[in-house]
Amino acid sequence: MSQAEQILQALGGETNVRDLEACITRLRVEVDDPGKVDEPGLRAAGAFGVVVQGEAVQVVVGPQADTIAEDIEDLR
Amino acid sequence: MSLRVLAPVTGSAVALTDVPDPVFAEAMVGPGIAVDPGRAAQAQVRAPVTGTVAKLHPHALIVLADGGRGVLVHLGIDTVELDGAGFTLHVSEQDAVTAGDVLVTFSPSSVADGGRSPLTPVVALDAAADALTVAVRPGDQVTAGEELFTWT
Repeated sequence: MSQAEQILQALGGETNVRDLEACITRLRVEVDDPGKVDEPGLRAAGAFGVVVQGEAVQVVVGPQADTIAEDIEDLR
Repeated sequence: MSLRVLAPVTGSAVALTDVPDPVFAEAMVGPGIAVDPGRAAQAQVRAPVTGTVAKLHPHALIVLADGGRGVLVHLGIDTVELDGAGFTLHVSEQDAVTAGDVLVTFSPSSVADGGRSPLTPVVALDAAADALTVAVRPGDQVTAGEELFTWT
């Protein structure tokens, strides 16, 4: 499974992801159900850190955030 | 080889731990220091190191120095939400730049008027916490182009 697929799965799958954009070192994601977000899974997929504030999830992936976001968009 | 990292904007130095964004405050992408440009109407953002503009968003950029060390400059907090409004870019991705070159201009006062912090974190990407020798103390006034820290 690619890194983008791992991240999307750990975010609860495409049905849980309402919006996703890259901000230079992080993915800023809006999810329907924060309970479906698998933080250890995100870290296993290469995230340095995860910040969950309500339905807003930030996944810190480093400078490759833009590329990873495009790869995830291709999966959605 | 040690890399001198210069202040991208003029303002006062702020510890990264005091930046109201956990990604910076917890040094998730690396250690560094922030500069508070205050409510300046206009700020010129200068290259912190000599190298290549590896990433360029209106509100954030990465300059990759020789040897592959990346320095992230983030213009304000949550400024991705502005979609580039109020930011003028003077370079393009992959341009070669010299430390001190003007890369972007923006308005810290407009960012603050919009309810966001204009604090500008400068981060040594993927550096070990003990790899930086900081040249300024929190609260010190710094001028764009002055050394913030040395990265060894």
